[in-house]
Parts: sequence; structure tokens; C-alpha cells
Amino acid sequence: MLFHTPQFFLFFVVVVALFYGLPRPFRKYILLVASYFFYMCWNAKFILLIVALTAIDYTAAMWIRSAATPARRKAALIASLAANLGFLGFFKYYNFLASNLALLMAKPPGEWALAIILPMGISFHTFQSMSYVIDVYRGEQEPITNAIDYALYIAFFPQLVAGPIVRAHNFFNDLYHWRAPDAGEQLRGVWLVVFGLVKKLVVADQFARLADAYFAHPAAYPGYFAAWSGVVAFSIQIFFDFSGYTDMAIGLAQLLGFRFPENFRRPYLASSITDFWRRWHISLSSWLRDYLYIPLGGNRHGRFQTYRNLMLTMLLGGLWHGASWNFVVWGGYHGGLLAAERALGVAPKRSWNPLRISFTFALASIGWVFFRARTFPASLEILGRLFRGPAGHLMWPHWQLWIALASLMLAVAEERFEWFERLPGTPAWVYSGAIAVCLLCLELIGFTGRPVPFVYFQF
Amino acid sequence: MTRLFLRLGLALILFFALDALAFRTGYTSILEPNSTAGYLQQFVWNEIHRPLRGPNQVLTVGDSRVGLKTRVTNLFIEDTGYTLASIAVPGTTPRCWYYMLREVDPRRNRYAAILVPFDTYNDREFEPVADRELDLHYLAPLLRLSDLWSFSMSYTEWPLRGLAARTVLLKGMAFQQDFQAYLAHRHAREEEVRLVHRMGAFWIYNSVWELHNLEGIQVDWAANRITTMPAWPDAAKRHEIEDEVLRPIPPVTPSYAAYRLRWIGAIVDRYRGTRTRVVFYRLPRGPEVRPGLPEDADSSVRRMARRPGVVLADEHTFDFLERPELFGDGMHLNEAGGIEFSRSLAQLVRQWLGPAQESVRFASTPWYDSKDVSRRVSTRHARVRAPHPLPAQEPVR
Repeated sequence: MLFHTPQFFLFFVVVVALFYGLPRPFRKYILLVASYFFYMCWNAKFILLIVALTAIDYTAAMWIRSAATPARRKAALIASLAANLGFLGFFKYYNFLASNLALLMAKPPGEWALAIILPMGISFHTFQSMSYVIDVYRGEQEPITNAIDYALYIAFFPQLVAGPIVRAHNFFNDLYHWRAPDAGEQLRGVWLVVFGLVKKLVVADQFARLADAYFAHPAAYPGYFAAWSGVVAFSIQIFFDFSGYTDMAIGLAQLLGFRFPENFRRPYLASSITDFWRRWHISLSSWLRDYLYIPLGGNRHGRFQTYRNLMLTMLLGGLWHGASWNFVVWGGYHGGLLAAERALGVAPKRSWNPLRISFTFALASIGWVFFRARTFPASLEILGRLFRGPAGHLMWPHWQLWIALASLMLAVAEERFEWFERLPGTPAWVYSGAIAVCLLCLELIGFTGRPVPFVYFQF
Repeated sequence: MTRLFLRLGLALILFFALDALAFRTGYTSILEPNSTAGYLQQFVWNEIHRPLRGPNQVLTVGDSRVGLKTRVTNLFIEDTGYTLASIAVPGTTPRCWYYMLREVDPRRNRYAAILVPFDTYNDREFEPVADRELDLHYLAPLLRLSDLWSFSMSYTEWPLRGLAARTVLLKGMAFQQDFQAYLAHRHAREEEVRLVHRMGAFWIYNSVWELHNLEGIQVDWAANRITTMPAWPDAAKRHEIEDEVLRPIPPVTPSYAAYRLRWIGAIVDRYRGTRTRVVFYRLPRGPEVRPGLPEDADSSVRRMARRPGVVLADEHTFDFLERPELFGDGMHLNEAGGIEFSRSLAQLVRQWLGPAQESVRFASTPWYDSKDVSRRVSTRHARVRAPHPLPAQEPVR
């Protein structure tokens, strides 16, 4: 049940009706049942996995609180982390490790491979779960005594599949001090859902066709113009796909009275890669910063330690995305750029500098080649095509060029004036007009009857 | 919540207004001429823009089996007094015919008669049509908001009813692919549409059908197989001909009778109380016809024929055309068959309707039958890819 399907909207309407129709004490049960149902629509058997992880981390947190000695507290933490990383490692990385090991031992790559289905959203909910247990261990979060509450935190359907990774204190603050969304929040929630749909269906899915065509057969589109248009198409696709999903997740949660943090802040207007990572997938980058980069020492132990920490964090961040050397290279590429910027003293600037923004966008787009290409040699081939050969032709039809330009103009306007954030407070005709234009875009370009899954669902 | 719902309500109103502004104010005139909707729209456009000379206009609806060639019937205008025209579009059904007629004759005063063809007067459904999704594609340009209930509910399955309602309500979604293609190649589309508007009627008027015939075909009905087939068809065509000629006789189905009563009945009701008569006639069925077809005296067609203003032609009127040399496949008349059929139809119309009004009897020649046609086919148009072949004019036999 994908967010952009009629089935999901029917499901959501039923959930909202039950949520607000029933007395308050029953509401969290409704949300938990709905969340488990949502998960089981994908694969009913895997509900056992999410329940098991929930039980383990809930128990570990309780043990951490009640443990008599620091050693026992640490043992409980390690047990929890081992369980989470164990499940994640098995489901996500087993075949990757097995095939690499087989190659090292001169065996066929599939020698020890297993037919493993990657459970939906496992990368997100394990990170969310781990952050909770670590926070409890650090004393930054009180353990949750009510198992239902904790289960809801892990399985809450708006962010179960692809985030944003919500910190425990934010979620439980909303849960325990729940208040109905006011009129402004309702309007913002609906706007985010509709705008997220537009981002996904009108922009991302259109550019996905171009990106898919190019990355499937780069040789069929000779020339660096074609190569750049294919790569930039993917840059546009992945941003609008993921941020569209996130907008919808935030909007849906807001309609249920939960306030999720921002996950994207116009990353392609970043003036450096450092700035880019402050704007891109903020919930993941802040998770990596708080639970990996800073514990590794952050920037407190000298220049080279900082570079090492940056590189390690980004390599693991890359690997988090998928079990492939391409993701490791992608992480390493960004780690290298972050280290280089730090070495060169490139500080993120707030001033508007189109040249720096374009350069940063080009660097980010080059990184996406590793993210999107099927294999490392394919990545290298496409990178080569970006910088050599004949000029070729742009792959984009004119009207997609207009979509890209319109998106850029809206992003620049949003960066300077935050129009979209202020939209719920505008007069009715402005708000309704904006929704109506979005609906028209969806009607004309978006709803094709062939839902394309979100890119980040595979992670 | 009230504020939210008020704003969402306003948003929906604005959305429908935008949709209507974009797609109910003339977009249908620039539909891709080679698309399903655009093809039908082309016939409708041609008929609406056809200059009428007098009230003795006779229009035939139908599908690809209607072998009417107006360049043949025009030869008989002086004899019969009637001008025949056709909006028979391949692949259409009675449901489509009703909406097409509504479009080309909004005031119900344009025609002396509407000719409605049948493959059989009995309620035997050779091809299921009640839930045909293709009708949605054909009719998207012609459906109005007022059709929401009647059109949607004419389907029997709920998913199709939903799809039909969507087609009526959301024109933008119905034309989504067409609109995207238009955005991608705007100038080429506009040029193509201009060309089709200028030349479409000429191409249809002068089109030449299958020149081959099925002379030599022999059917062993007892063994239900074709024993001899002419040499020219390739394997796929032979298979197609076999399927068409040997198709079994389906049983009489009440649902098909209901469908015919619904849509043919709608056409009859539409012209009730007007000067327009509705003529039912049976098409020539094929090069060889399965013997022993039972006749149903109380079929829906015969019941509707009892209504005022309806003329029921003898079921066997065109049996004389059911000859292999006049067919290009198992169902369709070839070029020679079309000419024979048209010649006969032109004469029969006078027989069915009686003499035309004396005051309007005159020779009527459409522009595309005139000598100056070459002047109109300018070199500018010739450079644009023609959506239909531009055949040489065949001599009328």
C-alpha cells in the first residue's frame, strides 16, 4: 500500500475517522492496529520481525533503567544493538557479504547466497529503535513503560517505511501531550500531502522515465549533453521522490496530531557539500552525527581525526543505503568532499551565489551516478561520458525542461520567502487556488495508473 | 475542521473550473487525429462542418462494416433527392452512435433520416459491448457533466462505472496522454490538426478499401471449416478470416436486448416527434453465411421498429451482396462491395423514405469532389506527414 495509491487514501480516511471518532484513550490503539495493518499489507509474515525488535528494545530499555551496575546497563545496550544490527545485517547485508566472501575465495558469487526478502523500512525503524535505546542508556530519555506506546513509536505508519527518523523524545512528547491539530496545522498537513503528491507524481516520476532510460542504456544516448541530462534527471527524481514522500509523511502525521521534524531544506540550493548535508535527509544526517560522528570523536581530536571521522561516518552512511560497493563509494565520495571542504576552509554561506550553488549541484549529481548505476563499472562508464565524447543532445522534452525550471524558481522563492510555509495563513482563495493548481497538475501529469514505488522504499 | 473543509471545497470548485476552462472550451478540436478519441472527433468535426444543401440529408451511423462510400451515393443525388453522409467510425458501438448523433445534430432538425445498421435483427451478441472500455476512449470528447449518471450506469461493472464517471468528470485525466503528447510536440500537433481539418473529409471521401476479394472461398459447414481459401491472404489474415466466417452463433441474450433497447432506443426516442426518421437495416454479413440462422420475431430491434418514426428495412435487403467477390475479409466489404452497397443504399433510401421534397431537389457536389481540389492540396500541406494515406481517386464503376 503505497502513499500515492487510492487504497492508501481510503485507508487513511478510515483511520482518521476512527481516530477522531473514538474517545482519546482508544486512539493510540487505533494507530497501532492501523500501523500493523499497513505493514502487513506489504508482507504479513514480517510483522513478527517488527514485533520481535519492538519487544527486544522495549525490554532492553527497561533493563538499562533497572540494571544495578554500569556493566549490566552496557550489556543490555550491547544486546539491543546486536539484535538490531544483527537483523539489519542479516536481511540487508548477508548476500552482499556472502558474495564478496565467495569472490575472495574464488567461488561463484551466488555460492552462499540466500533468497532473502528485505523487510520494508528495516533501515529506518532499526535506526529509530537504536537511537531510543542509546538515548535511554545515555540518560537522555526516560524508558517508556507502556509497551503499546513504544510499539507505536516504532511502527507509526506515516514514517514506518522511509522515515523521517523521528527521535523518541519528539514522538513521545507529541503522544503524551497530544493536542488536536489547530486549523493552521490541518491546512499545513493537507497542503504537505497534496504538495508531496505533486513532487512525487508530477516531477519525480516524469524524470524517472528519463533517468531509467539513460541508466539502462547509456550507450544509446551518446554525448555529454545526454549524459548530464540523464544524470541530472536522476538528481531531480531522487530529490522530488524522497522529499515528496517525506512531505506526505509529515503532513499525514500532522493531521493525526504528531509533529515531525523537517527532513529536506532545498538541498540543491546548498552552497557547499557541507551545506548540502545540512539540507538533505536531515533526520539521517543528524542521526549519523549524534550516534556515529560525535561518538567517534567528531572534530575534537585534531584535523586528521576529523577527516577520518567524516570519512567513516559517510562510508557507513553510504552503506546504510544499500548493500553494494556503489553505495560505499558514494558515501566515500561525499566523505572525501566533506573532508576536502573542511581542509580548504569552505564554509557554508548564506549569501546567494549561483555559481557555488551550481557547482555544488554538479558535485552532488556526480555522486548520484554511483547511487543509481547498477554496478561500479557502469558508474565509471557514465562518469566518463559526462566529461568526454561529442556534445550530443539533451534528453529532456521541452515541457520537462519547463517543469525543472518552474521547480527551480519555486525553490528559490521558497528559500527567500518561505511561501509554502506561510501558505496556510494566507486568504482562502490563495490556499485553495494553490491546492487546485496542484490537483490540476496531478490530473494532467501525475495520475498515470501505474504507481512507481518510492526510491527510498528499497532501503 | 470547518475551515479546512471550506477551503478544500473551494479548492475542488476551482479545480473543476480550471479543468473545464482547459478541456471543455475547445481542446477537443486539437486532439491527436490518430488517437481513438481524435479519430472519432475527426468524423464528428467533418460532419458538423459539412455544408448542408437542403433538408434531405441522410446520415448513417455505424462501425467499419458500414460500407458507405459517399462519392458513390453523391452520383445519385439528382435521381433520389437525398444526400447521404456517414459518421460510421470503425470500432464504435450503439452507445457511441447516440452521443455522436447528439453532437452532430444538437437540435434534431438536421436530417431527414438516420440509418442505423445491424449485423443481425436478433439479440445475438457476437461481441460483448455493454462493458466495452474502448467506448470511454472514443467518447471522452463528447461526454458532458449531465451524462454523469446515465453514461456511468450504462456499464454493468462497478470499476468501469467508476472509470466512466471519471471520464465524464475529469476531462484532463481522460486526455492526459494526449495533453502530454501535445506539450511535447505542440507545433507538429497543431500543424497536423490543421491539415486534418482541411483535408480529412477529402481523404475519407476518396479512400479506397481492400482491392482483394475472397472469390474461391468454400466452406464445409458440416465440418465447420474452410476447405478452400484464395491464395492472397497471409497466414494471419487467413486465420482472421476463418475466425470471422466460422464464428459460432451466440445464444439470444436478454442483456444484449437490454443494451440495444437502451442505446438504439435512445436514438429512436431522441428523434421522436421530429421530422427525422430512423431506418433500421441489416448489413451484408459476410462472404459466406452460416445457414440455418434462426429468426426471433420478438427481438428488441423488431419491438423498437414498432415505435413511430422508425422504418424497418427487410432483413434480407442486402443478402444479394453476401458474395465472396464483394468481401475483403470475413466481415468487411471490399472496394467493389462498398461501391455496390452504396449504389444500392442510395436507391433504397428513396424507397424507404419516399420522394424527397421537391423544393430542395438539386445537384449537390461537395468541394472535395470538384475540379479545384488540387489547388487546395497545397505543397505546404504535402510536406507534413499525412495521418492517412492520400490515395488516387478510383473510378466509380
